Amino acid sequence: MNAAIYNRRRAVNSVIMLLAWFAAASGIFVLALILGTLLYKGVGGVSWAVFSQNTPPPGSAGGLLNAIYGSVMMTLIGTALGTPIGILAGTYMAEYGRGSKLSMVVRFINDILLSAPSIVIGLFVYEMLVVTMGHFSAWAGGVALGLLVLPVVVRTTEDMLLLVPDSMREASSALGSPRWVVIMQVAYRAARAGMLTGVLLAIARITGETAPLLFTALNNQFMSTNMNAPMANLPVVIFQFALSPYADWQKLAWTGALLITVTVLILNVGARALSTRTSKS
Amino acid sequence: MNDNSPASGSLTTQKPHLGVREHEGAKQPLSEKVSVKDVCFFYGESKALKNITLPIYERKVTALIGPSGCGKSTLLRIFNRMYDLYPKQRAEGEILFDGGNVLDPKQDLNLLRARIGMVFQKPTPFPMSIYDNIAFGIRLYERLPKSEMDDRVESALKRAALWDEVKSKLGTSGLGLSGGQQQRLCIARTIAVRPEVVLLDEPTSALDPIATAKVEELIYQLKNDYTIVIVTHNMQQAARVADYTAFMYLGELVEFGETRQVFTKPTKSRTEDYITGRFG
Amino acid sequence: MNSTAQVATSIAQSEISPSALRRHGIWDALLRNATRTAAITVLLLLGGVILSLIHGSIPAFKAFGFSFLTTETWNPVTEKFGALAPIYGTLVTSFIAMLIGIPVSLGVAIFITELCPLWLRRPISTAIELLAGIPSIIYGIWGLFVLSPFLQAHVQPLIIATFSGVPVLSSLFAGPPYGIGIFTAGIILSIMVLPYITSVTRDVFETVPAVLKESAYGLGCTTWEVVSKVVLPYTRAGVIGGIMLGLGRALGETMAVTFVIGNAHKIAASILAPGTTISANIANEFTEAEGELYTSSLVAQGLILFGITFIVLAAARLMLLRLEMRSGSKV
Repeated sequence: MNAAIYNRRRAVNSVIMLLAWFAAASGIFVLALILGTLLYKGVGGVSWAVFSQNTPPPGSAGGLLNAIYGSVMMTLIGTALGTPIGILAGTYMAEYGRGSKLSMVVRFINDILLSAPSIVIGLFVYEMLVVTMGHFSAWAGGVALGLLVLPVVVRTTEDMLLLVPDSMREASSALGSPRWVVIMQVAYRAARAGMLTGVLLAIARITGETAPLLFTALNNQFMSTNMNAPMANLPVVIFQFALSPYADWQKLAWTGALLITVTVLILNVGARALSTRTSKS
Repeated sequence: MNDNSPASGSLTTQKPHLGVREHEGAKQPLSEKVSVKDVCFFYGESKALKNITLPIYERKVTALIGPSGCGKSTLLRIFNRMYDLYPKQRAEGEILFDGGNVLDPKQDLNLLRARIGMVFQKPTPFPMSIYDNIAFGIRLYERLPKSEMDDRVESALKRAALWDEVKSKLGTSGLGLSGGQQQRLCIARTIAVRPEVVLLDEPTSALDPIATAKVEELIYQLKNDYTIVIVTHNMQQAARVADYTAFMYLGELVEFGETRQVFTKPTKSRTEDYITGRFG
Repeated sequence: MNSTAQVATSIAQSEISPSALRRHGIWDALLRNATRTAAITVLLLLGGVILSLIHGSIPAFKAFGFSFLTTETWNPVTEKFGALAPIYGTLVTSFIAMLIGIPVSLGVAIFITELCPLWLRRPISTAIELLAGIPSIIYGIWGLFVLSPFLQAHVQPLIIATFSGVPVLSSLFAGPPYGIGIFTAGIILSIMVLPYITSVTRDVFETVPAVLKESAYGLGCTTWEVVSKVVLPYTRAGVIGGIMLGLGRALGETMAVTFVIGNAHKIAASILAPGTTISANIANEFTEAEGELYTSSLVAQGLILFGITFIVLAAARLMLLRLEMRSGSKV
């Protein structure tokens, strides 16, 4: 055995393992740094005013009420549009149309939709709704978000239903269940947690989504409950305020960023807890 | 026997034979509950069953035995058209059941399966409570008041000899039961629908010997009321529970007869080889 | 065990009501058609996305033809538009992101699968995956207010000083240190792709059969030799798939880049200079675009971006699919 060769191999190994340690540590460090900055810059601004007052003009005090309201409304619309269509389409692919041509094409298309840049979805909704209606609107924003929810839900629904063993479907059919009972009362029940995880992840995805809202919902300095008009929303307000030269606005942007991140992380952790709980049972 | 009034007449002629293990098939007048006539089965292009003709006698246990891949499970899954769930599988021939042909394309499958129940190799409790597992099948076609439903669930669980073990936890998930209990739950679920024929697809292959003994005891009980077809790879099991036995090999029916005769005086050499353990 | 009454009730055949049968028939038809319609809707929507992009970009391609892709000019006043600068910015920022992101991601994956104590595995994986959940606008605001000033004050002057005498590199890293620019955008993107590449890589690393690794260790291999000679060759397709997935994200990322890229419509020799990317360009200018040609030039860029990401992601999917089929046949 040549000791020199062995020593060199060991040295190479040590260096690379050290680098791996370093890579992992820097990954964790960046996460901590981002969250730390958010807390440091954002927590100071959290007050009752944030939830009770609208976005202010530069130089005066205010809150994020209209933006929070708009974000919640558009997220609701997006979820309400994307979830049912997504679940139904995913059901078709895993149940009625398993292995059919239509399912294969939809799966392919859905995968593209899933990873399409969100700004492209915004362009589409702009062309379809904003141009035809003649103005920006909260509806358009909600539809754009719905288009982002849709592929996530389709994918998880199909995957989760395919995880339900066929023996379960056979057992249900053997009792005389028609197909809809097999699907809705047995397969859905078995896949419930996984499907819910998918919906939560989809909501988490759209909660912080900015790009497609820029030219669909636009923004609004004032409180508006008119879904047919431009509406404020947290991500776009953060974008606008952060890039502004005014200190108050920048501070509100950090507070908004903290709110969004906390919401998204809660959704993510919730989804994760849900999926680990089911994989254990 | 299939009318809606409680069939008291049959009770007098068929008392439960607790613990009495004798094959008495030939001593009573037999009626064919299901008649398999010249049935072939295809997975895509390949022919898995070749011209099977077989009687299934009422209130008897018929066992299908043979080496793996012989088509015994395939045959069982034709009785309730389970294969219909999958594309590219088809059956030819006739299976007569109460005057109708099971293989008729116009046959209502859900109705058929409600009348011909099936229990699978692996226990398949649904992800719901024990109570709901039993009530599931009943609710499909019947609207019952709560008290009547409770009675039906209780009687099904009693028939499956599971009641005493679960009566205090009917609301808990069926997934929490042991393997043997799960399988008896599945049997209870099947008979709760009140089928006429019960198909058992290797029902004890996933169970330990004690649980197996319980299920076999149960099968022996159930034949008083149901026509039973059981697929098993365990020849002792066939000898223990079946009145009639069909031996299959490579998609063909080699021999059919009374269990005692098939096991003691087989007419075909291949049957003898299999039973004596020379192959399979 | 059985009272006679129970036996009696259980043999009576269940009453199957015709109304129940009818109800089942209706529901079955309803669900089948509803799910089918939904599936077709998904199909039409994406078809719609592609068609509307093509339709929207026709004026730009008509006006400028192929030179749209090769012209750097972007002048809304004279209505002369070329997409070269954003295309260049998109490709270069993603390249930088990959240059940094790939080795770091692989390092993290190696750490998680080979070095990490078991109890730390889950927390670290979770933490890395949480990075993927943070909205891109957060990366943007963090990049603008924390990362850029830091790079401007400490890192960029150092880089500029180091390479000032070296040919080629001196112009690639030419000053002044703006803080924001192509380089910074690339770094932000490298952080954003890290969780994607890491999680795919970790997953495929875990598919390597233990016997394979054990037999390599049995020969006296070091951990690095096992990883480089056994694990990586075995999982190559999956790792490349994961990298492509990360690349797809980097190419399409909008908000984080928009904050730190500097939005300059020119191609500078130095990567420290401000630039723009396709998505940042659209995000910044779309609502203000006046006139059909201006709008169309932006939509056309969207189409190009869509095309690029589609190719990358299709390649990724193909890689992962091949791996899946291979491991499927081996099991």
